[in-house]
Amino acid sequence: MARRRRLNEALSAAREYDPYTSEWLEQEFETYALLREELPIARVESRGRTERGDTGGSWLLTRYDDSCAMLSDTDTFSSQASSYPERPWIPQAIDPPAHTAYRRILNKWFTPDAMTAMEPHLEQFAGELLDKMLEKDEFDFVADFADPFPTVIFCELFGFPLEDYPQLMDWKNTLMHSSDGHGRGRALALVKARELGIELDEDGEIPKDRLVDVWSSTGAALYEYFGKLLETRRQAPRQDMISWLIDAEYEGERPLTEEELLDTLFLMFMAGLDTVASALGLIVKTFAEQPDKRREFVALMDDSRRLMLATEELVRYNAIVLLPRRVTRPVEFEGVRFHVEDQVSCPTMAANRDPEQFENPDEIIFDRVPNRHMGFGHGPHRCLGLHLARRELRIALVQLHRRLPDYELHPDHKPELFGGMKGASSLWLRKA
Amino acid sequence: MQVKIVAERCQGHGMCNMVCPTVFKYDDDGFGYVAPGLEQVPANLVDDVSLAEIQCPERAIVIEP
Repeated sequence: MARRRRLNEALSAAREYDPYTSEWLEQEFETYALLREELPIARVESRGRTERGDTGGSWLLTRYDDSCAMLSDTDTFSSQASSYPERPWIPQAIDPPAHTAYRRILNKWFTPDAMTAMEPHLEQFAGELLDKMLEKDEFDFVADFADPFPTVIFCELFGFPLEDYPQLMDWKNTLMHSSDGHGRGRALALVKARELGIELDEDGEIPKDRLVDVWSSTGAALYEYFGKLLETRRQAPRQDMISWLIDAEYEGERPLTEEELLDTLFLMFMAGLDTVASALGLIVKTFAEQPDKRREFVALMDDSRRLMLATEELVRYNAIVLLPRRVTRPVEFEGVRFHVEDQVSCPTMAANRDPEQFENPDEIIFDRVPNRHMGFGHGPHRCLGLHLARRELRIALVQLHRRLPDYELHPDHKPELFGGMKGASSLWLRKA
Repeated sequence: MQVKIVAERCQGHGMCNMVCPTVFKYDDDGFGYVAPGLEQVPANLVDDVSLAEIQCPERAIVIEP
């Protein structure tokens, strides 16, 4: 009977699955564990799907092996997963072989050697921000460090003018965090909705089917901004990624079209402004809540080999990304019959806690081996910026803990967390 | 011990290079290859190469005794 009850609970959890809220985060790992045991490929009701007017069934994969298999089979599981946005993000929403050609261009910019050359600058900039933050005894780690550190670096690398940083962050937050528990993102989306004359529902929220209008309008502003920036760089090239993309050649045959350039910039913007900031916020929150693990980290961080393994483990433990795919042909997968147009979601945070792949998955084990985690994705779409992300995380964590080995969550300010592509939008700490 | 990288599987995670930079190199596109001459792994690098094989997220490294 207990067994049947557990299955029923799993069926209910699948029906109610909505990772796009901060409440979800309170029981996400419990729920993923329940689903992994009872319904490792679960039919879910997905809020994101109906918002975007997509058709077909929606499935959730919580096992590591299933997720690997899905992400490696790009013929069956396409990355052109959603009907929003109307234009594909390059190269995230493109399948091989075109994906391979775009990645060949972008990979050259993000090589490990190129990223290693940035390390002294990363260290210096992290140090500056941290010294300023630590003049105070209590501070919002996200506002003072986790947000500006990777984002400013990214703006420099890309060639986004630094004075546009606040505007870029607002656009990013409107597009990514309009309804996932992110306070600033919600506030910005409401302003935009008012501007567009959208009537709010009885709870004072933007109706789900109108969110797409908020995104489209914001996306249009961003495209216009990128268009102007491309024009500026065409006239006066610089040593930045925008100028370099303008000169790049697709398969050595032709330059990228204006549309390709815009779609690439759009994706780089969405992927680059959020991810490391989110991971850093969650990792430091983890350290504030688990002081024994923080002390263990501080003790090992001067050993470069152990630091490297520890950084990977922290990424495994705090994976932030949901990876969506669309089924392109009828296929039976582990006994489940997928139909064409079905949506399949692979939350990396679920795969990374699969006990069949990771012993004691809910514990941070800094020297964990093997640790083939999925925090940077898997298959051809693995995170393009991972060589930068790893270095930023490693440098940020070392520089922070050299200066401040002991801290705690501020008792009067609860961390503000958001779901979906999850993270912390506010993390108040105080010196211990 | 012999080591090779199966090129079709490698996605350029770079784990092998972090663990054993002497043996595992990157090409211009960031994909891994075994440094020429080190396919037969020197005894002092056997542990590192074994760790790289275990850690590769795509299981692209193949070791033969």
